[in-house]
Amino acid sequence: MNPFLLGASAPVLSKIPISTGVATALVALLMLTHIQFAAFQQGGYLILAVSDFMGWKRKDERHNRFAHGLLICLGATFAFGSALAIFAVMILFLGLWSVFWDTIFRVLFWPMFVEAISFVGEIICLYTLYSQWQRLGGVRGLRVGLELLLFVNAQIQMFCIDVMASYMLTPRPSSDLALDIFNPTMIPLEIHRFVGNIAFAGAMIALVGGVRILWSKGSTSRAYADWMGHYGLVWAIGFTIAQPLVGWEYAKEIQLHAYASWYSMMLGGLSVAFLFQVFLLGAIFTVGIYYLWRRVRAGGVRAPALAVCTGISLAAWLLISTPSSLAWSYEDVFAANANVPIWQGGLLIPWGEMIPFKLVALIAFTGVAIVAITVYLKHLSRGHLTWGSAGRGQAVALIVVGVAVSLIMALMGYIREDSRSPFLITDQMLINQQQNFTPPSSPGPDLNGPGSGVGVVLPFGPPLP
Amino acid sequence: MKEASTAPQRSRLAATLTRPVAGLLATTYRWVDERLGVSDLTHQLLYEAVPRRGAWAYSLGSATLIIIVLQIVTGMFLLWTYVPSTTEAWESLNYIEHHDEFAAIVRGMHLWGAYVLFVVIGLHMIRTFVSGSYKKPRELNWIVGVVLFLLVLGLGITGAMLPWDQAAYWTATVVTHVVDYIPFLGNWVQEILRGGPQMGPETLTRFFAIHIWLLPALLVPLIGLHLVLLRRHGEHGSWVNYEGVEVESEQHRAERMAHAESPYPALPSDPGYAVPVDLDQFFPSQVFKDAVLSFGLVILIFVMAVVVGAPLERAANPAALNYVPTPEWFFLPLDQILVQFPQAWMIPVGVFVIPGIGTTLLMLVPFLDRTPDREPWRRPEVMAPALFAVLFLIFEALLAVNRLFNL
Repeated sequence: MNPFLLGASAPVLSKIPISTGVATALVALLMLTHIQFAAFQQGGYLILAVSDFMGWKRKDERHNRFAHGLLICLGATFAFGSALAIFAVMILFLGLWSVFWDTIFRVLFWPMFVEAISFVGEIICLYTLYSQWQRLGGVRGLRVGLELLLFVNAQIQMFCIDVMASYMLTPRPSSDLALDIFNPTMIPLEIHRFVGNIAFAGAMIALVGGVRILWSKGSTSRAYADWMGHYGLVWAIGFTIAQPLVGWEYAKEIQLHAYASWYSMMLGGLSVAFLFQVFLLGAIFTVGIYYLWRRVRAGGVRAPALAVCTGISLAAWLLISTPSSLAWSYEDVFAANANVPIWQGGLLIPWGEMIPFKLVALIAFTGVAIVAITVYLKHLSRGHLTWGSAGRGQAVALIVVGVAVSLIMALMGYIREDSRSPFLITDQMLINQQQNFTPPSSPGPDLNGPGSGVGVVLPFGPPLP
Repeated sequence: MKEASTAPQRSRLAATLTRPVAGLLATTYRWVDERLGVSDLTHQLLYEAVPRRGAWAYSLGSATLIIIVLQIVTGMFLLWTYVPSTTEAWESLNYIEHHDEFAAIVRGMHLWGAYVLFVVIGLHMIRTFVSGSYKKPRELNWIVGVVLFLLVLGLGITGAMLPWDQAAYWTATVVTHVVDYIPFLGNWVQEILRGGPQMGPETLTRFFAIHIWLLPALLVPLIGLHLVLLRRHGEHGSWVNYEGVEVESEQHRAERMAHAESPYPALPSDPGYAVPVDLDQFFPSQVFKDAVLSFGLVILIFVMAVVVGAPLERAANPAALNYVPTPEWFFLPLDQILVQFPQAWMIPVGVFVIPGIGTTLLMLVPFLDRTPDREPWRRPEVMAPALFAVLFLIFEALLAVNRLFNL
């Protein structure tokens, strides 16, 4: 923590006459939009560097063309996405959330300072590449190096933003900057987003590829769109594979260190949104693996292993999408005194429980996706795929994956931010920016406590006090 | 002209002065050589063909060997002072740390040598895996290598228990507690390791015996076998050493094979398994690279031993129930996997089933990947799962660090 800032007196902050609800809606709308662009940048830079490197080393014209197109796209989306971020900081945070901004700035001055510096680094690298692409083609190693530097800059920014986001959820009561930075959910969030952003960028590329397959007229453009869709999807599925595991561990840390938020997500008012999130995750895996299977089939190869993978993924999707009760939350189940299975007249659906059913589904997604992507790459390396032969079904599958990934990205942001309610910073600041308050009572009934008689198996074992 | 005339004079002078000693040495050497065949052995060991390209990466194997030798030597030195008893183990190390600077550095080198060994052996395995060097006829050598890696892990965990400080005691407690989850045999294995139902003096004695006798007794012959197999089949090296063999003409191939140097076979069953396109001699070029890397690592180990040293916590206190044991860094992924399994009946899955499947698959790699292709891009069936496995281990380690940091 910066001692100078700590010692400084707080500026006089006057509130703008706008309701907290409107301010929340404004910041949510803006930030969720910004996240879509920022995630694309974060993941896109790595895909850019890898594509350009492959085009260089393998003398592959498709990769060369793709890398240039991606760079132009990244330049344009950066302009818009960063404008949103600047607008958010200048207008929303300083104007509507000034007390919060002042507080967070005092605690996390250095991460935010580093982020600002790396933002400048990103601008320099990106626009050097943007304006000098052809000229840098003569020094290809330098160009790829700049792309990697761009990626590193973006990762530094993401790290700093993750510090802030994780701190808001699980702040450490300390004056030690290291403890503030590496708070309990920092690394899980960082890995979750690192992987997720690359998958997101891949899914957006797949989406564009799918749309272009449907729109393309000539065989050349169709072949390129087909390849582009496949290329994006391999990135998307390849990196989504890690998400069940990383997400699980992230949720576990939230349970251990911000139990109220965890309760809200898993059993409280946000549990339906969380259920929709795992439904989307199932859609990404199932439709993605279905694409891999049909894409190989379009090349004239049967690929029964991929068919089996699609079937298992479909079963896991059904399993993970099953609600654990026929109510909005567990509190409603208790309120209705219906905490018995549906066949006994209650509202509970036992096979919708997290353990073991949803856990089994998550393991199944991970396993079949690894097998599917491996089998698919094997067919690719054996030359079984011919570009341009993808049909409408595969194009639609690419679009579905892209839309599902975009939705899940927005939904995850909404769930994480809303789970802290009524806090803006857990246990430190209320959503109306009030800092001196009586802590609200712990949420929800004591599900595993003595005498509750519920017998519900919680997702991660008994709740902590 | 002047230089040319003085050089033989100098040489004659040197010969005159050194003749008595040189003559004696030469006679002695001839006597020994006639009986032991030292010249032949030296020639056999040093003069052998190796692939030219990627030779720095091959040095990882030699560096592994050198660090293992360093571990044996520093371990021997430690045995001069260390007392393997629960009452004196900590005292003896505490004495080293405060009263014997040389032994403290040796202890530091033993610890940092182990850390560096894990990194180097890991990189060596990755190099072998990525280059497909385990392929026919080198499958057995890969399996021996995997077993060696497991033995080194075993040496790491048993060595961590020997100081009998708080960290060592509670690590031993956790490790011997975890084996209790082995279905049917857990209790029996636990009692064997602990020397009884509870932790006690016998526990330390047993881990000491495993660390200095059992595991080295397995390690040393297996290293010998690893080297013998390496010499038998020759260094496979990187796939780049075989670039072009698929498209070369029969005549060119026959010519190359005719000039194949030992140990590469002159009549290969498949061009991909045969002699590399471009060869070099093991001595001096490869030996030089091996020496540079190994020397650099030994210096690094020495510097870390002097600057950082080896930690020694307070003496083991079984009553200190608030002590939170943290695993050695190379066991962080396993520790993190363990905590992800929320119910007791699932713990064997995390501790035994998942690592067991992973280890079995690692051993079976040469039999799962049997095509002659060695370029990574053309072997996605092993490269893709391996990449996921490595990322999984890295993520688990990072998450474990974050969890332990926030305890």
